[in-house]
Amino acid sequence: MDRKKILEEGLLEKYLLDELSETENQQVTIAIAKDQVLRQAFEKLEADFEAMAFENAIVPPLKVKERLQMQLDDPKVQYLPQTWLMVAASLTVIFLLSTFWMYYRWQQTEENYNNLQDQTTVLQERLNTIEENYTTTNQQLQRINGPQTIPLVLNGNDLSPSARVVAYVNHDKKTVLVNTQSLPNLPEDKTYQMWSDVNGEMINMGLVSPEEELVTLNYIEDAESLNITIEPAGGNDHPTVEQLIAFATL
Amino acid sequence: MGQQPEDIAIINRLKGKDKDALYLLYDKYSSALFGVILRMCRNQSLAEDLLQETFVKIWQKIDMYDPNKGRFYTWAYRIAKNTTLNQIRKPDLLIQSEELGVDTNKTTPEDSPLDFAELNGAINKLEPHHKEAITLVYFKGYTHREANIAMGVPLGTFKSYIRQALQVLRESYSQALVLLWTLLNTF
Repeated sequence: MDRKKILEEGLLEKYLLDELSETENQQVTIAIAKDQVLRQAFEKLEADFEAMAFENAIVPPLKVKERLQMQLDDPKVQYLPQTWLMVAASLTVIFLLSTFWMYYRWQQTEENYNNLQDQTTVLQERLNTIEENYTTTNQQLQRINGPQTIPLVLNGNDLSPSARVVAYVNHDKKTVLVNTQSLPNLPEDKTYQMWSDVNGEMINMGLVSPEEELVTLNYIEDAESLNITIEPAGGNDHPTVEQLIAFATL
Repeated sequence: MGQQPEDIAIINRLKGKDKDALYLLYDKYSSALFGVILRMCRNQSLAEDLLQETFVKIWQKIDMYDPNKGRFYTWAYRIAKNTTLNQIRKPDLLIQSEELGVDTNKTTPEDSPLDFAELNGAINKLEPHHKEAITLVYFKGYTHREANIAMGVPLGTFKSYIRQALQVLRESYSQALVLLWTLLNTF
């Protein structure tokens, strides 16, 4: 490549500015090395551009040199440009915010879970109670509703006209259940007591409390009638017949 | 070739992997290179990263530098320019421009005490179109082809702008050298 072409086409400027193709670059390099005039022209060009650069120099912050030194002094330290550090810082902030949000949600979820667990416990307890009541009621129903069960109604006499007791007698299973809810309440020193009449002898069946729905009493063989008397609290060995308030014949 | 003698000694130390030699060159040339990089990318923090990257490349590639082929500054300028252009012309930063076909990023300059567009020294003595031509190719990294399209003049005309501008710069710097030489002899 001759001098004239290089100078007229501004190839020296392009060479300096690194605009030439690889082939042109090599040709100009060789030409400059061989041609003193070209070499001097290029040297002047370099000097001018360098002078212009220094006239327009801007002092970089000290931290750039410090970062460069850190990077070269410790190659193990991964080079992290400032822009990447800013990206990393942004990601860290996002991560922290996400973490706080997740923590908040987690706390809320845990609270909800605890509430649900409490509710479940309450519901479980209620279910147990209902099941227990159902079992009891079912058992009672079976005991009073079987085909072998004979219901007897003991209506109160003049001593206790409002008294009304229903006794369920099952001779096969030898059980007696009494519904006492319609018995009037008694003073604390008194109690109801139930008796079976067997061949004229009154045999104790047990105490009857008006507070219970169904009371299980002793089954007495060959009973002819069931009788209720008012006795001193704790019951009596023999019935106080004057205080007989109701009876039913079997 | 036109290399300052003290630079040759430092560069030889740098070729021997002397970090202090690199830091000496940094102290001497970083401001000139930073002025170019900052005007090219118009982003303070990015320019700082690119300056650091430029000197890392100088450290890594110093064996490829041949003082017989040109000044150290010219070689370092090429590295800085290519590093900057590679960064700002990444696909995600390219913006189609009616003027240029492909223009570099249009990022808003960060706060800086300096106006990046402002230029100092002999370049301000040039005719406006000559100054623009030099600014485009040297401080903005445009190729001649891109720059002449940007200015809306034929390539041949643009080349003559560059040639004339360089001639004025040459005269200006020659006069300055003469003045400096005279002053030194006087005192």
